[in-house]
Amino acid sequence: MSYKNEFTGITQLRLSPFFERTSKLNEPQEWKRWGGYLAATSYELHHDNEYFAIRTKAALLDISPLKKYIIEGPDAQKFLDRLVTRNIKICKVGQVMYTPWCDEDGKVIDDGTVQRLSENKFRITSAEPNLDWIQHNAAGMDLTITDDSYTTAALALQGPNSRDILNAVASDSLDSLKFFWMMDTTFDDIPVSISRTGYTGDLGYEIWMDPKDALSVWDLLLEKGKSFGITPTGLNALDISRIEAGLILLDVDYVSSRHAIIESRKSSPFEVGLGWAVKMKKKDFIGKKALEAELARGPEWNFVGIEIQWHELEQHYRKAGLAPGLPCTAWRTSTPLYKGSEQVGYATSGAWSPILKRYIALAHVKSEYASEGSELMFELKVEHFRKLTPAKVVKTPFFDPERKRSCPV
Amino acid sequence: MPSVKKYDAIVVGGGHNGLTAAAYLAKAGKKVLVLERRYVLGGAAVTEEVFPGFKFSVCSYVVSLMKPNVMRELMLPKFGLELLPLESTFTPLDNDYLIRTADADETYREIARHSVRDAEAYMRFGPAMGQIGMAVRPILETIAPNAIRPSLSDLSKTKKLLDHFKTLSSEQFEYLTKLMTMSSADFLDEWFEFEPLKASMSASGIIGTFMGPRSPGSAYVMLHHYMGDIDGSFRAWGFQRGGTGEVSMAIARSASHFGAEIMTEAPVEKVIVKNGKAVGVALENGDEYQSDIVISGLDPKLTFLKMVDENDLPSDFVTDIKNFRIRGSSGKVNLALDGLPDFTCLPGEGHHLRGAISISPSYDHLERAYDDAKYGNFSQEPYMDIILPSVLDPEMAPPGKHVMSCFVQYAPYDIKGGWNDQKREAFGDAVVNTIARFAPNIKDIILHRQVLTPADIESTFGLTEGNIFHGELTLQQLFALRPAVKWADYSTPIRNYYQCGSGTHPGGGITGSPGEMAAKKILGVWK
Amino acid sequence: MNRFDVIVIGGGVNSLVTASLLGKAGKKVVVLEARDHIGGLASTQEFTPGFKCNVFNDTIKWVDSRVQDKLDLKSHGLELIQPDVVRIALDENGNHIAFHRDAEATANSIASHSKKDANAWEGFNQYIQKLAQFLEKLYALTPPTLPNIGLSEALGMRSMLGPIRKHGTRGLVDLMRVAPMMMPELVDEWFENELLRAAVSTAGIHHLSFGPFAAGTGYNLLHQHVHSDGVFHNAQFVKGGSGNLAKALQSSGNSAGVEVRTGVLVKSIDVEDGVCNGIILADGETIEADQIVSGLDPNNTFKHLVGPTNLNPNFNTQLNNIRYRGSAARIHFALNSLPEIPGVSQEQLGTIFSIAPSIEYLERAADSVKYGRLPEAPYVEFTIPSVMNSDFASDGKHVLSATVQNAPYTLRNQDWSEDLKNQLTQNVVRVLEQYLPGFSSKIETSSLLTPVDMENQFGLTEGNLNHGEMTLDQFMFMRPTASAAQYKTPIENLCLCGPGTHPGGGLHGANGFNAAREILK
Repeated sequence: MSYKNEFTGITQLRLSPFFERTSKLNEPQEWKRWGGYLAATSYELHHDNEYFAIRTKAALLDISPLKKYIIEGPDAQKFLDRLVTRNIKICKVGQVMYTPWCDEDGKVIDDGTVQRLSENKFRITSAEPNLDWIQHNAAGMDLTITDDSYTTAALALQGPNSRDILNAVASDSLDSLKFFWMMDTTFDDIPVSISRTGYTGDLGYEIWMDPKDALSVWDLLLEKGKSFGITPTGLNALDISRIEAGLILLDVDYVSSRHAIIESRKSSPFEVGLGWAVKMKKKDFIGKKALEAELARGPEWNFVGIEIQWHELEQHYRKAGLAPGLPCTAWRTSTPLYKGSEQVGYATSGAWSPILKRYIALAHVKSEYASEGSELMFELKVEHFRKLTPAKVVKTPFFDPERKRSCPV
Repeated sequence: MPSVKKYDAIVVGGGHNGLTAAAYLAKAGKKVLVLERRYVLGGAAVTEEVFPGFKFSVCSYVVSLMKPNVMRELMLPKFGLELLPLESTFTPLDNDYLIRTADADETYREIARHSVRDAEAYMRFGPAMGQIGMAVRPILETIAPNAIRPSLSDLSKTKKLLDHFKTLSSEQFEYLTKLMTMSSADFLDEWFEFEPLKASMSASGIIGTFMGPRSPGSAYVMLHHYMGDIDGSFRAWGFQRGGTGEVSMAIARSASHFGAEIMTEAPVEKVIVKNGKAVGVALENGDEYQSDIVISGLDPKLTFLKMVDENDLPSDFVTDIKNFRIRGSSGKVNLALDGLPDFTCLPGEGHHLRGAISISPSYDHLERAYDDAKYGNFSQEPYMDIILPSVLDPEMAPPGKHVMSCFVQYAPYDIKGGWNDQKREAFGDAVVNTIARFAPNIKDIILHRQVLTPADIESTFGLTEGNIFHGELTLQQLFALRPAVKWADYSTPIRNYYQCGSGTHPGGGITGSPGEMAAKKILGVWK
Repeated sequence: MNRFDVIVIGGGVNSLVTASLLGKAGKKVVVLEARDHIGGLASTQEFTPGFKCNVFNDTIKWVDSRVQDKLDLKSHGLELIQPDVVRIALDENGNHIAFHRDAEATANSIASHSKKDANAWEGFNQYIQKLAQFLEKLYALTPPTLPNIGLSEALGMRSMLGPIRKHGTRGLVDLMRVAPMMMPELVDEWFENELLRAAVSTAGIHHLSFGPFAAGTGYNLLHQHVHSDGVFHNAQFVKGGSGNLAKALQSSGNSAGVEVRTGVLVKSIDVEDGVCNGIILADGETIEADQIVSGLDPNNTFKHLVGPTNLNPNFNTQLNNIRYRGSAARIHFALNSLPEIPGVSQEQLGTIFSIAPSIEYLERAADSVKYGRLPEAPYVEFTIPSVMNSDFASDGKHVLSATVQNAPYTLRNQDWSEDLKNQLTQNVVRVLEQYLPGFSSKIETSSLLTPVDMENQFGLTEGNLNHGEMTLDQFMFMRPTASAAQYKTPIENLCLCGPGTHPGGGLHGANGFNAAREILK
């Protein structure tokens, strides 16, 4: 039997343009705060189905709480090139780049995507509010900055069937849209932008629209996506999949240098696994000098994936007379990593990967212990007692399906 | 017949610092007597039932700076210390409002309504100030050295402090320099753009001082208000259940528990000095008490210019004390209400009434208020820091009724023509009219009104000029210069005579710190 | 080839000092001045046909002795005149207070107002001189670098040892007491007579946007008395006008091979990847050099010539936070005859006069800056330079130059217009008329420079004569910002030498001397 209890309530938090739908679907009525918004933790009482929707069907996530800024003007590209660590000059119209940005000491402030909407118009997304920083560094540049956070609503459609669903809804085919590119199209008569981006490490898209069209888009997607298994999905499932994809989360895996109150909390891009996104050959950008110096002396920390070894894990629990206790949701409590008696790092988030059947985590490890295959000890609590169990440094992403990047044509 | 009884230490003044010193000394096994002039303990930290059924924290009204170790070491929670958090700071405006609460998302949202940039900056400002507060902690916790003839231990602790400053980042050093020297308005202008936000924040830079937000020096006072923490959270304010007097009572109960004797209605006439040595006190009724040492919790002017003879003090020291600036600049209006004020900009009840209500719509509002005072008048439209204690603690007022505490600036002690009943009432009217600008129903719900001018505060509580900090918190009156150079370590030029009031390092507020540190200094000497 | 060892931007006093010192050290130096005349704040020029004036400064408090000696300014024509009476604080009833070189004579003048104050005068004078001596040591230093400095380094403690030996630790303690004070606090400790209290306070607010009630005015007062030879309100006049200081410097520079070009506007400083390579002129010409030195204020140097896109974020923030807030205007009056001041003898006319009857008067005048409005009754300080320099006006005509404080750069809800300028002139004339009866009838014409005019004509940001306010938060290792306080800047090969650097404003040349020393290191 099912209960059909309905209620209304009052909240002091911001509601997404999709809330009228998502609130009705949220069976446990479990919400998390995300950027001052109410965001669904899971829509069903357990998030398993949502997680597998991401990996085997199609998951629909409300990502409207993302911060968005439009940078427009003759100096827009020059400005972004100065702001972020990647080379925006080579970002073509319709292309999207994922990049961190740093303070002048080369410490990461935030990470997000830069979409080139036209020659002189970009949208930059971020986890935290960044208007102050963006405006401050735009002094003397010929451009305008608009906070687009509340004027654009966004959905993520992630999973193997996501392309089929969009092809069924959109007036243009998505078949040739490449990984980290975007296009404009319409759903019926509703104009939307679709970028082939996401936070799951799977085939997936993000759909950008006017908030007034939000509910129509939601309804269209659910209707046309039904036969493809479209599943409204909450943050619990997303968190597991982003760890599988090796993607970092601000305030969990690192602290923004703008908010870190002590130096040791700050990280350079090299220390959060984003060294690949730092283009040292580029002309001056914010933090370049400091990053050059850091490269010269070698970063102190590395950011790696680790796998907690199954056999020993099982042994610990067996000794206590228990089956292996695995986390059913992703955890975010910093957990020490040892080499011998010395603590050489800490894992910042981890999860049991249902699709890989491996216990994985993301970790900050001192550079000398961070090479692939390096064996560390992971702190574990079994029945209230602390144990050390072996963990190995492995390559990320843990999960990296071919479909993420490939195109059918 | 003068009664004679021998004590180890006599504390003159039963304010919270005097009581703290007494408690620490008693805890160390000393035989201690506290002598309070009034019928009630607490000095400026006092609760009184001013009107039947209505209890007021007559003078000091919030607690944030109380040192955590004092609370623990004196077991104050056991003796009645109970701090209720003030949830918000609410600034009513003419057509809008600003509210900052304990919740980061709500505060962001509310500030972002006015300025997104400010909302972002605000999230960084608190932690940055907290760090500076942390950085200056070691100074606050150090007994100030003798800057003229430093002892070996003075030199070593000075070196320790200097080394500590070397550990600050250049940004922190920069902030610190700015906070020590700038006006709070100029300092905040570097961070924020929305004026009501800046004005409300700058207000903590003027509380208790005779400065406006645009006066250089006010940034330091702002920092002083950032140094306190409740349960590890900086810049958190709390209200003591039962009123601020209960803080004093908790300390007094602790002192009694440790064996201290406390007498009220025992005004001290003079500290008895023989051969350059304090040996006891004489009460106004002629009673005399002997003791090894005497500690004054009074302000420096009373401690040195009234309690002892100038002739017993070196003349340059007398000059320093005469030059010590104690300027009264604030008044207090306590209202007994028939209901709750209803703010036009945010009608009805809500958590905006459970916190501080700041009447600070703009810098100009504060500056004009200051200008009035600068030229010898009370502010026609004053700045106010208002709380409604009965909302937090219903026992403060009869059921359904409320009490409202308005800390008001500016009311200069040296008002042109002097204070009189007529001016007191005019001042009270100015306060009520200013509140009515934002909450028009206030005039209909006032049952009783108590107006305290600085002159009243002086005559009632013995605070010279009605200054709540026992002397202004200006750069030249801090640390090794508070209250005077050479004598900033709680000792005085008179042997066995000590000081422990807010006029000593680290200054004013309900901190317990001067009392604690004075006691520790005395116990160190006693060893 | 258009290449020099050093380019110095700006032809003011400090620029010329730096250029000459570098020239003497064998560098090939060019000085580029945008205006047709060198001198900047030390300019003497005609303001109306037949009448000359010292545009900004009629007097010089001190010229750094290191500069005078090293550049041999005397033999290059610099002649400083120190009158016996350095300043007269005017009293409405003609009972003025004259500040003499000789403290005893000053005390005598005070005695007619208050015997008690007269007795206190010498003590006060010595007290101030004693504290100023501590500053003198600091002023010769290059400030320490953040971070990793302790308080003792920050305060230049090592250099304090000399004065400490002389005055004891108490002297240093007194410095720490007085520097953060506000004027009423200081004078309360010494004097009772209001005219004297105000006259002393004027030193604390000199060229400041604040009034005497501002903490830190104690520091500004001490700044005015560095190297003052024991003379309160010390003043020295340059024979022939302040412009002759610049001329002497130029002559000294020329003898060291320095090339000075006037009428040359620098459009930008060429910076690539944080390194400065040269400059580009308004006409498109480029000049390269190993070292660029700017005598302009930090705002003009970095915001206009370097450009914000070449500045890193922290430095940019610091630059944004420098307070300029010019609030002094200058009015030059062309007079048909010598004005009379009741109670002032003919011989005393060649000094500085101040109009400040009370501290409250000064504070009320400063309130106008706070609220961004015209001062009704501003604080006015004036001289009649034509008394000392007969070539300033001919045929018995005279020039009266007034510094008018409390004229804010930024007016609330309006801009400086001709109307407002006329209003301000009238306000000043009204104030002067009270002390110089019949003054208005002598005026042939007048010329007013508001802070906005100073910005437009002389490139002074917000019209601030000190290239940044002289307040404690912009002092030493904070001047002009924490990351550019050693004359070197975050831009490689670009240095500063103007009053925006330590030790701040005035025509003393100490900034230029210290900068040259750093560059030659």
